[in-house]
Amino acid sequence: MLKIRNRRGLALASVISSLALVLSACASDSDSGSASGDDAWFAEAADKLECKGKTIKGVTENTPPGQYVKSDIIPAFEAATGMKVDLETTSWDEMYSKAINDMEAKTGIYDFVYIEQDIIYQYLKNNYLANISKTIAENADLQAPSFDFGKFTSFIDNFKDANGDVYGVPMEAFVKVYLYRTDLFNDPAIKDSFNAKYKRDLVPATNYKEYKEIAEFFTEYGKGKDIWGTTVQAVTGHPASFYELFESILPTNGVYNWGINNGKATSANGGSMDSKAAKDAFAFWVGLLKQAPPESKQSTWTEVGTTFAAGRAAQGWVYGENVAWIATDESKSKVVGNVGVTLPPLGNPQVLEDSKSGKGYLGYYDGGAFGVPATSKNINCSILFQQYQGQESVQAKWAAAGSRIVMESTYSDPIVQEMDVKTNGYYTFMKDQGPLFRGAPPFPFHSAVREVVAPFIYDAIAGKISTSDALDKAAKAADAEMKKLGY
Amino acid sequence: MNKGHSNRLGWILLSPSLLVLGIAGLAPFFYVIYVGTHSWNVFSKERGKVFVGVQNYRDLVFDSAFLGTLSRTLIFSFVVVTIELVLGFILALSLIKDFKAKTFFRTVYVLPVVVAPIAVGATWRLMMAQGHGPIPFFLNKFFGWDFNTGASTTQAWIAILLMDIWHWTPFVTLTLLAGLLAIPKEPVEAASVDGANRFQMHRYLILPMLLPVILITVFIRIMDSLRSMEDVYMLTNGGPGSSTTFVGLHIFRTVFAKQDYGYGSSMSLLVLYFTIVICWLLFNALTGKESKRKV
Repeated sequence: MLKIRNRRGLALASVISSLALVLSACASDSDSGSASGDDAWFAEAADKLECKGKTIKGVTENTPPGQYVKSDIIPAFEAATGMKVDLETTSWDEMYSKAINDMEAKTGIYDFVYIEQDIIYQYLKNNYLANISKTIAENADLQAPSFDFGKFTSFIDNFKDANGDVYGVPMEAFVKVYLYRTDLFNDPAIKDSFNAKYKRDLVPATNYKEYKEIAEFFTEYGKGKDIWGTTVQAVTGHPASFYELFESILPTNGVYNWGINNGKATSANGGSMDSKAAKDAFAFWVGLLKQAPPESKQSTWTEVGTTFAAGRAAQGWVYGENVAWIATDESKSKVVGNVGVTLPPLGNPQVLEDSKSGKGYLGYYDGGAFGVPATSKNINCSILFQQYQGQESVQAKWAAAGSRIVMESTYSDPIVQEMDVKTNGYYTFMKDQGPLFRGAPPFPFHSAVREVVAPFIYDAIAGKISTSDALDKAAKAADAEMKKLGY
Repeated sequence: MNKGHSNRLGWILLSPSLLVLGIAGLAPFFYVIYVGTHSWNVFSKERGKVFVGVQNYRDLVFDSAFLGTLSRTLIFSFVVVTIELVLGFILALSLIKDFKAKTFFRTVYVLPVVVAPIAVGATWRLMMAQGHGPIPFFLNKFFGWDFNTGASTTQAWIAILLMDIWHWTPFVTLTLLAGLLAIPKEPVEAASVDGANRFQMHRYLILPMLLPVILITVFIRIMDSLRSMEDVYMLTNGGPGSSTTFVGLHIFRTVFAKQDYGYGSSMSLLVLYFTIVICWLLFNALTGKESKRKV
């Protein structure tokens, strides 16, 4: 053990240990997601609002952004306020069941719930949510100086009602991108081989024909190497396949908003779910299963990410929330540094023009917010947490961990810019091309229609009925369901 | 002893159990009956419950998706209960005899019974998952078979049948073993002295004496298999397509994914009705025949 022999030595040791303490405090601050500068305000607010010592309970999906909330933001918030946050991270379907059953039965179990952009319309119609902006405006003790609704991207508009009041604080937003393996696409031998076969350069596809050819080429190339031509999110029995078809594939052929127009899905009634464009796109997508890994019919968005990360697919539609870890995390991904991002291939070139003009879109802009159930017994305490996770200062690391961006300023943060390089420009792509993508249509009957349509999609994937039959039956079932629900 | 006092004491002693039964059993049951007579979809334009009488039941009779899942469930139930009964009986007979490491074998053998169905489903799914599951890997490596429960209906059925048989045969074995051990030795010894062979002994003596235990076991397994849900949900998610979507999973999706509480409740009650009818028919078929023979 070090012996301190005189006063000077003692003083020096004190200075060194003080410095060490300060440095370690700084280090721990920078490691957490905390906005250290405002922790004092949150501590004071928790005291004033009598939240200190209380536990608030939330539920969210088990995704990279959700995991970051649990592992980084909540511990920092708890340390700052003395509150406890019990967050369940669970599967997508279970998360919704729990949240909706709680809010419908008014049991008040949850103090905050994840609201995906596609379900907010149902929640608002049913008055499930507390008005966050109004609650903050009416309570001076709840107005965090470091929180500002104005700093969010326009994605926050999805969580506003007709009066502009906000019912959810955005926690994630990303696009479903066309991801491809740069190591394969840039390999000179592979490029030559592709060129010899198809008389064109091997570059990411811009249309269905090119995509199919690339998929076929890599499936042939990958025999014995465990590489297939494409991912397909074609699980049956889980709505993930429905979502890939209706939100990522059909729009690329000009079928927007699930092919539902004024509450009608059949072409006879003015919809386009059973249109030729929809059927062509569906046939193209199901046809890709021949070039997809065998696990594709069991793959949700999570498995598609892991398939790509395992190096088992040359290209595919992948949810942006997975891009960061696929491109950078060597402990989970075999394709680190070999991931490229670009716009998805189109079945109809007009879709690009439609997307630029706002008439249509070419893919899915996904995201969600944390909302506070109106039945929560701790609305103020929960809103305190929502403001904490909605601070500008917590965004950059969260964006790097979960490849999600909800504030314009996050794009220019050095942490995000560094990640942008590592992900071959995913963040820049999201910033520049994001407006060409769109979230789910504002249907209050979202889940109900999805559940009657999805079984036909499952049966077509399983090969029990043709893709054409499936959409004919699906459109009729959707019309009947919307009529039954009173729309 | 005063009879009135005795009755009163009996009711007092029974009351905690009756209270629990009323709260945990009867109240939810009557609530399901109540909800089943309403249209209650969380996402319908008109919010809340709307009384529709028996309309949900009328719709169910013509609902091909529901009827499809019901028939699939009945087939599944018939196959697994039959196989489990035969296998369970054979194994129970073998467990009566003494052999080396019998206790160890019996303990290991009954372990699946204590595992929760959701964990069973998750384990089997991991074993059969494409890409990293050992079963598809080894079947492909040694036999060149492509085993994919996500793509082949037949293979998905084989997987769920095997899973259920693995999970529940030990339960059947245990109940039948208990029944076999309770059979008095005297009639068996008498039959042996009278020269009955092994087959005759089982056909005319052991099986009739075991019939009450077999009946109870079959009823329990039928009721269980008709409401199979968690393990199938984990293993195949009802797929490929809807080929392994049983009625339990269909009800779950109607209530929790579609949030159609009214229709889902009426489905539950109809399935309960079918279960009671099946058990009643089976009971009459087996015990009726037995009583006629006695006459």
